[in-house]
Amino acid sequence: MRAPRASGVVTAIALNTFREAVRDRVLYLLLVFALLVILVARFLALVTVGSEEKIVKDFGLSAISLFGVAIAVFVGVSLVFKEIERRTVYTLLAQPVRRWQFVVAKFFGLLAVLAVNVVLMYATVAIALWLEGASSIELLPAVWLILVELAIITSFALLFSSLTNPILAAVWTSAVYVAGHLAWSLRLLAERVPPGVARWACEAGYWILPNLDRLDRKATVVHGLDVPAAFLLWSTLYGACYTTLVLALACVAFERREFR
Amino acid sequence: MSRARWVTALALVVALGGASISARALERLAPAAERAGQLLYLPNGKHLRIVSLGHSSLLADLIYLWAIQFYSEYNTTDRFRYVRHIFGDVIAELDPHYIDAYWLGAMILTIEARDLEGGLALLDLGIERNPGNWILPYLAAWECNMASNAECATRYFEQAAAVPGAPLVARRMHASMLARTGALDDALRLWVGVLEDPDSDDVSRAIARRKVREVRAEIERSALRDVIGAFRISNERLPRDLAELVRRGYIRQVPSDPSGQPYAYDATTGRITSAAGRVLGEP
Repeated sequence: MRAPRASGVVTAIALNTFREAVRDRVLYLLLVFALLVILVARFLALVTVGSEEKIVKDFGLSAISLFGVAIAVFVGVSLVFKEIERRTVYTLLAQPVRRWQFVVAKFFGLLAVLAVNVVLMYATVAIALWLEGASSIELLPAVWLILVELAIITSFALLFSSLTNPILAAVWTSAVYVAGHLAWSLRLLAERVPPGVARWACEAGYWILPNLDRLDRKATVVHGLDVPAAFLLWSTLYGACYTTLVLALACVAFERREFR
Repeated sequence: MSRARWVTALALVVALGGASISARALERLAPAAERAGQLLYLPNGKHLRIVSLGHSSLLADLIYLWAIQFYSEYNTTDRFRYVRHIFGDVIAELDPHYIDAYWLGAMILTIEARDLEGGLALLDLGIERNPGNWILPYLAAWECNMASNAECATRYFEQAAAVPGAPLVARRMHASMLARTGALDDALRLWVGVLEDPDSDDVSRAIARRKVREVRAEIERSALRDVIGAFRISNERLPRDLAELVRRGYIRQVPSDPSGQPYAYDATTGRITSAAGRVLGEP
């Protein structure tokens, strides 16, 4: 019997992950919450003096980002754990499926869920803006960068869920999200501490942590300011490379994990 | 329903009512005049930006919305104490491109708090951070104009007109302000520029055409007044008519106003008037 092709295995598991996640009640709840926030944005726009369009855009982009992160963290950390808890992972790995294929497929399955969610939430924001008579096209670069950020967060969720239980994995992934947005402060700190181990540690932390603040262009697009194509390309490359790196670590961690 | 449940329900209703009544009593006890004091502890936007984790623009919106409600509360007598802090140090630090926050803060300061200096400082901050935006210097100019400070208004209108993409109204207002401050040659140059600009719309061109006539008339009247002044010093009297200035060699010919009519001259007061002059606001 011939072993199935790696891409076929990954696609099959990813599709299954996608279907499972879409059926997940938490996912639906988050979607409802996202829609609610966007409706709240419409309501808040009524109590402001000017800036209605800006407020709808800000709320919309932040909702897309925050709910996306929540999905990536809470669904991501439970993906591997649920397979182990339900013992379906044994059945899967008894097939000609490599462990790395399992992890990579889980990643792409969740990324597809996130992409669909981001597109749906963006569509809602676009409709809200259209009702205001405003355009939403200029938001697209920021929405794309949110998706890049979510890919990085998802890879961390998978890494931590391969190493520990869902609660700790959620805490660690959330910590990476916070630290990633504060990574720039390590650079500042490095300039203020005397040369030596402390400065080296700050510099190392700055380069090792995902620089999520650099990927944030929400405030730029909201004001209609230009996001250069080169910036988008480099950001996408950075996100892809960083995600690959973390995913590789997740694969190694999952390979070394013992199931009892 | 069991007795325990009735007691629980009653306790809940009593607690809810008690909380509501005591909250209202506390509201009355806390003097409205002291409410602004709590704003002192609102952290600077630079610090809030760090904790916003990439959502600083949204946080700026929330504080902006809250500020609108706060400054609409007319019972709070000392609400203007921290306007510059809220709009300048907090909202503008969170979102330096929040144009509406600059103008709203400046409007509260200049109109309600009667603090023109504070309002202009806030608008200056916005202008510094948004050099490609013409509306902030334009609004600053109107604030100066409303305070009857024509020099200040001229400076800001000039700044607004210099921003690439600024509408013609900024240039028109700059020219009008220059005329008001007495810089007639500069005003004429600007109006001619608006008239000859191929990008000018019909309305701007029509206004510019009228203004060029008015300012030219004003320049001629001003020159005539100088000549009459010189005549009066030399002859210790006013000229009998404008033709006398030609006869005595002060001017080569009697000029006509933009409508082609000679300027009206009052030999008893030495005043020069024309239809164009009346449009400029003179009798």
